[in-house]
Amino acid sequence: MAPIVRCCVVAAVFAAFGAAQADTWWAYRPVRRDAPPAVLNTKWVQNPIDAFVLARLEARGFSPAAAADRQTLLRRVTYGLIGLPPTAAELAAFTADTEPDAYERVVDRLLTSPQYGVKWAQHWLDLVRYAETDGYERDRKKPFVWRYRDWVVDALNRDMPYGEFLQKQLAGDELPAATVADLVATGFYRLGIWDDEPTDAQQHRYDDLDSIADTTARSTLAISMGCARCHDHKKDPLSHREYHSFLAFFENVRPYDLGARAVPVDGAKERFDAELAAFTATRERAVSGLRERAATIWNALPAVQQRERLERARADLLASYPGERGSATQVLDDVGTRHGAIEGQVVQVAGHRGQALRFDGDDHFVLPTLVRDSFTVSFFVRSDQPGAGRGNDTRWFTGSGLVDGEVSGIVADWGIAWHSDGRVVAGTGDPETFVASGPGHHDGQWHHVAFTRELATGRLALYVDGVMSAEALGSKAPLSSPPRLVVGRMQPGGRGFRGDLDELEFHGRALTAAEVAALALDLPGGVAVGADLANDAALPQLSALRRPDLAMVDVLAVSELGTQPPPSFVHLRGSVHAKGPRVEPGFPSMLGAAAPVHAAATSHSSGRRTALAQWIVDPANVLTWRVLANRLWQHHFGRGLVRSSNDFGRLGDLPTHPELLDWLATEVLARGQSLQAMHRLLVTSSTYRMSCDAAPLPLAADPLNDLFWRFDRRRLTAEEVRDSILAVTGTLQMELGGPSVYPPMPKDVLATASRPDEAWGESTPQQAARRSLYVHVKRSLAEPLLASFDRADTDASCPVRFATVQPTQALTMLNGDFAQGQATLLAARLQREAADLRARLQLGLALVTQRDPRGPDVDRLLALAADLQRDHGRSEAEALQRCCLVLLNCNEFLFLD
Amino acid sequence: MTDDGNTFCGRTRREFLWQTGAGFTSLGLVDALSRDGFFAGGERPDGPLAPKPPHFPPKAKACIFLFMYGGPSQVDTFDYKPKLYGLDGKTIDIDTKGRGGSKNQGRVVGPKWNFRQYGECGRYVSDLFPNVARCVDDMAFLHSMYAESPLHGSAMLMMNSGRILSGAPCLGSWVNYGLGTENQNLPGFVVMLDQSGGPISGAKNWNSGYMPAVYQGTVLRPQGEPILDLAVPEGMTVREQRRLLDALREQNDAHLATRADDSNLAARISSYELAFRMQAHAPEAIDLANESAATKRLYGLDDARTEDFGRKCLMARRLVERGVRFVQIYSGGNHNDHNWDAHGDLVINHEKHAGATDRPIAALLADLKQRGLLDSTIVVWGGEFGRQPTAEYAEGTGRDHDSAGFTMWLAGGGIRPGIAVGATDELGYKAVEKPFHVKHLHATILTQMGLDPNLLSFFHAGLGQRLVGTEGAFPIRELIA
Repeated sequence: MAPIVRCCVVAAVFAAFGAAQADTWWAYRPVRRDAPPAVLNTKWVQNPIDAFVLARLEARGFSPAAAADRQTLLRRVTYGLIGLPPTAAELAAFTADTEPDAYERVVDRLLTSPQYGVKWAQHWLDLVRYAETDGYERDRKKPFVWRYRDWVVDALNRDMPYGEFLQKQLAGDELPAATVADLVATGFYRLGIWDDEPTDAQQHRYDDLDSIADTTARSTLAISMGCARCHDHKKDPLSHREYHSFLAFFENVRPYDLGARAVPVDGAKERFDAELAAFTATRERAVSGLRERAATIWNALPAVQQRERLERARADLLASYPGERGSATQVLDDVGTRHGAIEGQVVQVAGHRGQALRFDGDDHFVLPTLVRDSFTVSFFVRSDQPGAGRGNDTRWFTGSGLVDGEVSGIVADWGIAWHSDGRVVAGTGDPETFVASGPGHHDGQWHHVAFTRELATGRLALYVDGVMSAEALGSKAPLSSPPRLVVGRMQPGGRGFRGDLDELEFHGRALTAAEVAALALDLPGGVAVGADLANDAALPQLSALRRPDLAMVDVLAVSELGTQPPPSFVHLRGSVHAKGPRVEPGFPSMLGAAAPVHAAATSHSSGRRTALAQWIVDPANVLTWRVLANRLWQHHFGRGLVRSSNDFGRLGDLPTHPELLDWLATEVLARGQSLQAMHRLLVTSSTYRMSCDAAPLPLAADPLNDLFWRFDRRRLTAEEVRDSILAVTGTLQMELGGPSVYPPMPKDVLATASRPDEAWGESTPQQAARRSLYVHVKRSLAEPLLASFDRADTDASCPVRFATVQPTQALTMLNGDFAQGQATLLAARLQREAADLRARLQLGLALVTQRDPRGPDVDRLLALAADLQRDHGRSEAEALQRCCLVLLNCNEFLFLD
Repeated sequence: MTDDGNTFCGRTRREFLWQTGAGFTSLGLVDALSRDGFFAGGERPDGPLAPKPPHFPPKAKACIFLFMYGGPSQVDTFDYKPKLYGLDGKTIDIDTKGRGGSKNQGRVVGPKWNFRQYGECGRYVSDLFPNVARCVDDMAFLHSMYAESPLHGSAMLMMNSGRILSGAPCLGSWVNYGLGTENQNLPGFVVMLDQSGGPISGAKNWNSGYMPAVYQGTVLRPQGEPILDLAVPEGMTVREQRRLLDALREQNDAHLATRADDSNLAARISSYELAFRMQAHAPEAIDLANESAATKRLYGLDDARTEDFGRKCLMARRLVERGVRFVQIYSGGNHNDHNWDAHGDLVINHEKHAGATDRPIAALLADLKQRGLLDSTIVVWGGEFGRQPTAEYAEGTGRDHDSAGFTMWLAGGGIRPGIAVGATDELGYKAVEKPFHVKHLHATILTQMGLDPNLLSFFHAGLGQRLVGTEGAFPIRELIA
């Protein structure tokens, strides 16, 4: 019985390895670096890996399988490092290269190919459950999530040290002087499923945090923590309490719901600050001139005229909320009785003048509808937080509400909002018309905003700091739709504003540019002096001044709720509603004496994730480096030294070669945590270079190849299947990066979506032929070819792909539009590149098998082509297309020796 | 799977499972093992869908799940609440939770249809289902169902996969995993969707989650190419394809000659023969040409309103006859009034969907019975939740979602006929007598099919995962004949 044999093999190894420390589970003991064992067949030993493997084989009286031939080896290592078949030219060059280091140079070539990052990124993305939508009812797209995927590819191609690779994903935002790339790396926290309409919002938040903690523990430490969410782990020494201590590292993470945010491009902030200083100085000069002239004019007016003018201006003022008149429940109107009703906790802070109102994103106040025809809304605003919405989207209702009268649909409504990149946007409905300022007003400074609207012309104008930003012509109908106005957020349920608001005023007409300037610049007399300044030279001067733009980029990244995390508690039975004892962040004690946690708050976060990351990437961490070494081994040799590569605990498998695993773990550190150096080590071993050939003795005694007496054959992964087909037909696009692409989706698959018309996108044929890493990953709609070849399910961390064989795969590869179309493309290529049918079939065989075609194989296809022409009335071209379909379906194409 | 007693020779799950593997644990285990090369050495069963012995003799060989997506209103269909009629329009104190959040008051919408008693058992059915009503003596009502979420996204996942969190395999996947498929020429788990589109979350509703994709549901279309990529491409004949497959086989045999120990290669060779046979069998299975005119009429194929759902019900019977284990038919798709989600006008919505399904469902029950198939086929009817007795909005008859208490019914497959189990309160909002969670329904279905819901498990993420959850669930004994 094979299993019994295997069990005893592994157990015997174990008895020898760990007898001295029998009470500590192997994975929690310090990593050992044993000297490579002595072996008899020293010629076979290319590097210490081989000594560890061979010693065990020799002890059992086995010989390692013979070396694979050069063609097989080239194919193996090319797939192994870049996930693609070698080209004919590469094969010819390698076969002809008789230098002793020919193979090593191939390995170097592959490791410097950018396609290396594309291949290995997928392994990491499987672990962190990378998908590009949220799942559930709306299965919303995760904005800019692809930047995270590109970050992983880039990090691998740059051979970023593994510790840094982890640290940046876990806490890149907490690094001093974090770059955009460091923020993008923390997209790690935003990859999971997310129900935007949960039945229990609090529980769902912890479902998300649990998934983050679980994914972190599995991917970096191969600890299976899930069970301890509800009770002490049944097998591993991980208590319910310790689980929640681990969870506490993440509890201050802001819930995902907020989507992407815009951050300054690297280096842009410094440039911007300099430009802003120059801008401010010039502006101040113009403003002070204007202020002096306004004072002269105003002070020259007789007191009676001053009073008259002020009264006239006041007559147009419909309502005014200066800020200092608020109470806990009411914002008082200074002009009349249109008081605002506070919902939530709008508080008072020192304002632009006197007191201002502070909004925290969850509160607002409600006003009656004050205006509908011609009007001006004027206020001062201050925030250092970007609003909702997207940089290039100027629809006010996608932002965070400042003064909002939105009503869903194309109706006569209006509003003013704060957008993602510090842009102020406003607009009116039916037809929807928008005006937007430039970005960058979320600088913590007071800015004046005025939105004017004239009924007769439909003219809208948006002014910021007294200067017109934009104007447009919109509806000329009364804006009768909003039944009420909401200040501080979009109509309830919408996005809330975080920041301060002061001197909110509603005027019953569209103020002129000069009047707005007078308000904005606090000129003596205010609106009442405006008319006299209409021709002042400073106004065009101010308008001509361009506020510098801070170049921004949208990222999906983590952020925290503040520098002081909330207290953490044990959740009894995993229920967020059953609070147990309070806990502090802590590392699982089973991994050695519990280390104290030193979290130093940053300017914007608790610093807890940095403390966690530093502990994980500490060279002394007993799991991190073993886990990494095991994964590298797994993806080259088909299975990990520990087969359960996400679980090194008691529910997982034992390592088949514990000393080798430990040696490799130390080697990762010795080689500067360089993955590429490790690849080089692994693939240049004799162990890697063995053939897949069976030998009767070891096959009978060790059928599962626990001892690595040969190389294990494997089926290509889903991505390799698709990419290889595109590669042999010559259509594969090697372009890196950017938003994901949409290969054509069969209509019948689209019909399974609840909104078939919106279920998928469209890409050009070139874009659709990009590598599978770049195919959009949608949780509710799987690409059928990739799904049937066992692409990872993205709802949980996937350490080992299934490799099933099933008839659906055969149907897709025989009848599917993709396979049929690619067979046609391959036939066209063969016709272009070879002269006659025999030569074409030879070339086709060479392309799919990456070896010299054998006579019988060619003859078989020739016979097929002849039959198709004779018995089935096919032309030679049609027969060739069908031969190509057979070629794409060959086992030799889909399996790797 | 149980969690203790694993002291055999090392401590991994694998050894433990092999040790106890004489009986049930071998179920489906092969799949968990084969993925990491357990069988690479030669011994390998006939693929992951090979028939597997049940835990105990089954009452039902197949299950037809009629999924009323969107949530049908219990008090307007099968849960008779006479008191509600008189309260129509009155605002009462009642604690509810639905899409509109939690409320403590509501305006009662009286049931819009009359109820009558039917059959020897005298069960009440509303005028929405006059045909189904005639089958009450074969049906068992479960009036006290409850689920964890009153929101479609998570509620759909719960009814199909037992959890509100995405990522778990669906009921049909569990059945296929546990029992394999009887007819290798057809998929073992078939889903038929509404003409208007899939339900929300699409494929997640028939997906195999953390199990291999081979266990996921196959979408079957009533017309055209029934299964994706099943039809031989245009311009190619079956004879020609056979010739291609022969050439492929020769090519693959030559490749296999020097790799004879690799069963994966052999399995892939035979998968092409299986696919070829499916191409012939699947269209036959859904071809209604040989059905009599009377049968077609029975299922409502003569009426535009019932034609589509009737065709699917008839196809379901044919699939079950041919050994398909699990068939799920959706009534309703897409969003809003394309399904039973009656937030606006209750009458228009429910007349539409009941009107499209009443005759076909009655026909299915009668037809299965007359062919002697009802005894071995468990038919399940219901949505992801029910609807509240009170209105959702200030005006109109629309009802909000109700996961606190709703009705499902079962028939055949060893279910006690003519009974009703459990009850909601007198207004029909909440299950108060013998409340049953969705997992109890799942446990009942698995049990009838010969699978012990508390033993059927799949090792994933450090746990022997079960459809019925870590705490397990008993089947609803009252329902079992």
